Amino acid sequence: MTNPSPEAPPIQAQGLHKTYKVGFWFNRTVRALQSMDLQVDAGQIYGLLGPNGAGKSTTIKILMNLVRPSGGTARLFGKPVEDAETRRLVGFVPENPAPYEYLTGREFVTLAGQLAGLSGQELDTRVTEVLGSVEMAGAEKLQIRRYSKGMVQRVALAQALVGRPKLLILDEPTSGLDPLGRRQMRDLILAERAKGTTVLFCSHIIPDVESLCDRLAVLVGGRRVREGSVQELVSAQASSMEVVVEGMNSEQVRGLGIPLESVQALDGRVMLQVADVDSQRLLGGVLGAGGRVNRMQPARFSLEQLFMNALKESGRASSVGGEINT
Amino acid sequence: MSAFSAMMWNGFREARRNRVTVVVGVFAAVVLLSSTLVTEVTVATFDRVLTDFGLGMMSLILVFLTIFLSSSLLSREIERRTIFLVVSKPVSRRQFLLARLAGNMLTLGVLLVLMTLIFLGELLLFGADITATQLLASAGLWFELLILSSVGILFSSFAGPAVSAIATTGMYFTGHLTGDLYTLASRSESGAVQAIGKTLYYLLPNLERVNFRPQATYALPVDASTFLSGVGYSLAWALVLITLAIAIFERRDFR
Repeated sequence: MTNPSPEAPPIQAQGLHKTYKVGFWFNRTVRALQSMDLQVDAGQIYGLLGPNGAGKSTTIKILMNLVRPSGGTARLFGKPVEDAETRRLVGFVPENPAPYEYLTGREFVTLAGQLAGLSGQELDTRVTEVLGSVEMAGAEKLQIRRYSKGMVQRVALAQALVGRPKLLILDEPTSGLDPLGRRQMRDLILAERAKGTTVLFCSHIIPDVESLCDRLAVLVGGRRVREGSVQELVSAQASSMEVVVEGMNSEQVRGLGIPLESVQALDGRVMLQVADVDSQRLLGGVLGAGGRVNRMQPARFSLEQLFMNALKESGRASSVGGEINT
Repeated sequence: MSAFSAMMWNGFREARRNRVTVVVGVFAAVVLLSSTLVTEVTVATFDRVLTDFGLGMMSLILVFLTIFLSSSLLSREIERRTIFLVVSKPVSRRQFLLARLAGNMLTLGVLLVLMTLIFLGELLLFGADITATQLLASAGLWFELLILSSVGILFSSFAGPAVSAIATTGMYFTGHLTGDLYTLASRSESGAVQAIGKTLYYLLPNLERVNFRPQATYALPVDASTFLSGVGYSLAWALVLITLAIAIFERRDFR
């Protein structure tokens, strides 16, 4: 058996799909993932964004060999995910992590270190180091059953970091944390990236993805519907202009007959959003009608809008979960 | 410490910190010590009664604990998702399962040794003879528990704790009756009954092969070949059951 190569791309997946059989007679199927391609290069923070049931956790579970794909291939550092050795370079925090409650924080992280191949003085030193880095040194002797959710999340991150992973896979790492906890988790992820660690994480919290990711994939209904850097994805959307008009009311502006994306009446002003191609006509129309253009600038297209558009395009604006066949 | 040892010792530590194990352990000690009361109502054969009662109690209590521990060994890890944080390390599922079994057998072994020491202490206290068969009966019990643990783990690899516990309990009773089943079938005039009885005999583990408690009670000797063939028999059954459990466990999705 050859060891995983740290030079190979940390994550490569092609054509992954997963179908679960459900129901008492296993006669219904749920397509949790369909034709998922994914490549994460070294040093990136890569986000999987999607609503509940989009296939984010299934993708992660396939990568961690917790779930077997129904088709396709997944490799970590060039080796198939079924090979336990691939996980020597990986740290993993599942959604709602559940460490052994009868252990203390230190005992649990020590166990994780032993499973990652550390021993003796090196293990002791490393455990102290990671517990300190997640600010759990003060509570390390308490049994985990006495921990709050935030403390459990931190100790779970500590066990993921103890083996000095080259790849961190985090499933909803900020879910359920208070604003301070979320901020600290984000800082820890960025600190790991600064050390050269590759990070894959999934979330449905858009600001987290926007503030952390170099690249991201948007998943809806088990399919990848967008992929690219945040900048690329946002700028690839149909551009529009934001215009603030004075001296006219909403009705007068609508009366110009130019298609408007949105109209918002403000105190003595009207704020409009118009497609870029129609902006010059709107400008001429407003000036011709005696109005004044107070401001005109490219509208900022947020990741949230991208996400909502992706949901609408896939016809799943409000639904969650995979595709169910009976 | 290797990953395997770390998981095995953790299994032992879990059992040690589990209230049920502690309560059962204390209960076992109390019951064994109270067996001295039995001698009050026995006229002449109190050493036989003491052996019968002592070994019987050890068997009953440890079988209960085995069913409790093994039937939820894997299913509880999957249900509570504690398994996610372990199998995401460079540890194969096979290693995980074997280490959990080893931890379980270590726990049962330690309890068995402690109970045997209390039992032997009682025998010494009452000036009763300590025989090799009593020690073999105690050792045989560990191999019986090994088969039962393997059954529990096999069912635990695909079913919930309740199903697994029922199946293991059922296997305990049928395992002690397969010999009788074989004898009854042999005496039947119906060929079909004979075939069914004999098939069941060979399909199910015969726990009487490692049950030397009756011989210990009546101070009968057990020769080495009988003991070793019983040990080999139980190891073979454990191997088959655990191989099946591994085959199922390696294909499972942890959702």
